[in-house]
Amino acid sequence: MALLQKIVTWARLKSPWILHFNSGACNACDIEIVASLTPQYDVERFGVQLKGTPRHADVLVCSGPVTRQIKDRLIRIYEQMPQPKFVVAVGTCACSGGVFKGCYNVTAGIDTVIPVSAYIPGCPASPTAIIDGVVKLLASLEATEEKAPEPVAAEE
Amino acid sequence: MHWSSILWALFQILIFPGLLFLVALALAAEFVDRKLYARLQNRLGPPWFQPLADLIKLLAKQEVVPDLADKFMFVVTPMFALTAAVTASFYIPIWSHQALCSFPGDVIVVLYLLTIPTITFFLGGWYSRSVYSMIGAARSIMQLFAYEIPLFLAILAPALLAGTWSLSGMSLFYAHRPLLSLLNLLGLAIALVALLGKLERVPFDAPEAETEIVAGSFTEYSGRLLALFRLAIDVEMVVGASLLAAVFLPFGMDFGPVAGFGLYLAKILAVISMLSLMRTLFARLRLDQMINFCWQIAAPLAFVQLMADLVAKGTIARGVMIP
Ligand code: SF4
Repeated sequence: MALLQKIVTWARLKSPWILHFNSGACNACDIEIVASLTPQYDVERFGVQLKGTPRHADVLVCSGPVTRQIKDRLIRIYEQMPQPKFVVAVGTCACSGGVFKGCYNVTAGIDTVIPVSAYIPGCPASPTAIIDGVVKLLASLEATEEKAPEPVAAEE
Repeated sequence: MHWSSILWALFQILIFPGLLFLVALALAAEFVDRKLYARLQNRLGPPWFQPLADLIKLLAKQEVVPDLADKFMFVVTPMFALTAAVTASFYIPIWSHQALCSFPGDVIVVLYLLTIPTITFFLGGWYSRSVYSMIGAARSIMQLFAYEIPLFLAILAPALLAGTWSLSGMSLFYAHRPLLSLLNLLGLAIALVALLGKLERVPFDAPEAETEIVAGSFTEYSGRLLALFRLAIDVEMVVGASLLAAVFLPFGMDFGPVAGFGLYLAKILAVISMLSLMRTLFARLRLDQMINFCWQIAAPLAFVQLMADLVAKGTIARGVMIP
C-alpha cells in the first residue's frame, strides 16, 4: 500500500493540471499567468497543462482580491474540482488584498474564502515567479505527504 | 479446450498483444505526439513518463458524477470506448500477415469498432447534461458523418483491389505485389486526414475546442472516467495508425517476428508523426468548413481512388497489367 501511495504521489506531482480563474484582478496578473503558459517558458516540462474545466484541474490558479460579486462563483468553481485539489494565489491582491485592501467591494485575499496552498506575491507576479511558486508548492506537497485541504462549505 | 489454451488466450487478450501491450504503446504514442508537437514549437516538451503520470494521477483522483447526469450512461460510456478501441486491434495484422483473430469481412468490423468511441463521446457528452458537453456531443456526431465516408472509401478501395474483405488477406495480397500498393497513396493521404477527424485533433478538434466550449463532451468527466476516455483516444490513435500501416504499408512482414515488429513500430511512428505534424501546421477549422472539406474534397478524391482501384482490377483480370 505504501508503495502504491508513493506512486500516486509521484504521479500527482508530475502532472498538475491548472485552471486559471480571475477573481477580480486588475488583469495584469492574468496576463502574466497567460504569459507563463507560452512556449517561451514551456511549463509542460513540469507536466503543467492549462485546462478549461474545473473537473479536469488539480490546481486552481487565482488572481485578484475576490470581489463580492465573484465570491460565490469562486467557491462554486472550487467545489466543482475533484479531490485532491490545491489553490495558488497569484499576485499581491490575491495574497492579501493588495492595493484594494479595505475597499468596500472586496474581501481581501483568496484565503478569506477558500484554503490556499501557495502564495505568490508581486504586482504583478512575474511568470518566472509564478512557475517558481508552483514548483515550490509541489515540493512542499511531497514533504507533507499529500494533505489535501478540507473543502469549505459555501456560506451565505 | 485445455486449460493451457484458455490461459494462452487470456494471456494474448490481457497482456500481449492485448490490453497491457496496447496501453503501453498508446502511452508511448501520446508521448511521441506531445514531444514532437513541443519540439516543433521550439519547446522542450514533456518528459517521457508524462502520459503515464497523467494516467495514474487521473486514476487516483476523485470522480464526480454530476447530479443532472444520467448516472448509468455517464459511467458506462468510457468503458465502452476503451473496449471497442482495444477489440479493434485484435483484427489488425501487426508483425506477420496473420492477425490475432481474423475472418473474411473483418475490415468492416474494424471500421465499425473504431466508430464506437466517437459514438460514446456523443453519448457521454449528451448524458452529462451540461451545455458545453451537449454542444461538444452534437459536434462530434456531426463530424462523424463528415469524415467517415472518405475514410471508409479510402480503406475499402484497396480491399476491392485485393479482392478480400479481411485485413490479413489484404496485407498478404499487397506484400506480394508491392507495386500495386503505390496505387493507393492517394487513399493513404485521405485516410490520414480522416484519422485526424476520428481522433478529434487539430484541425478537426471543433468537438473539444477548449477555447470555445471548455472541453466538449468531456467537460463533466473527471478522475477515472476521464482517464478511460483519454486512454481510449490514445489506443484509438495506435489502432488507427496500425490499420493504415496494415492496409497501405504492408511490407516487411516476411522477415520474422523481430524485424517485423521493429518495422511495425517504425510504420506507426511514421503515421503518428504525420498526425503531429498536421496538428502543428493547421489551426482549428469551423464545423462547416470541416464538413465542406470532407464532402467536397476528400470524398470525391476517395472516389477517384476507388475508380483507380477498379480500373487496375479490370486490367489485371484481363492480363493487361501484370503486377
Ligand atoms: S497584484 Fe497588482 S497586478 Fe496583480 S491583480 Fe493586483 S493590482 Fe493587478
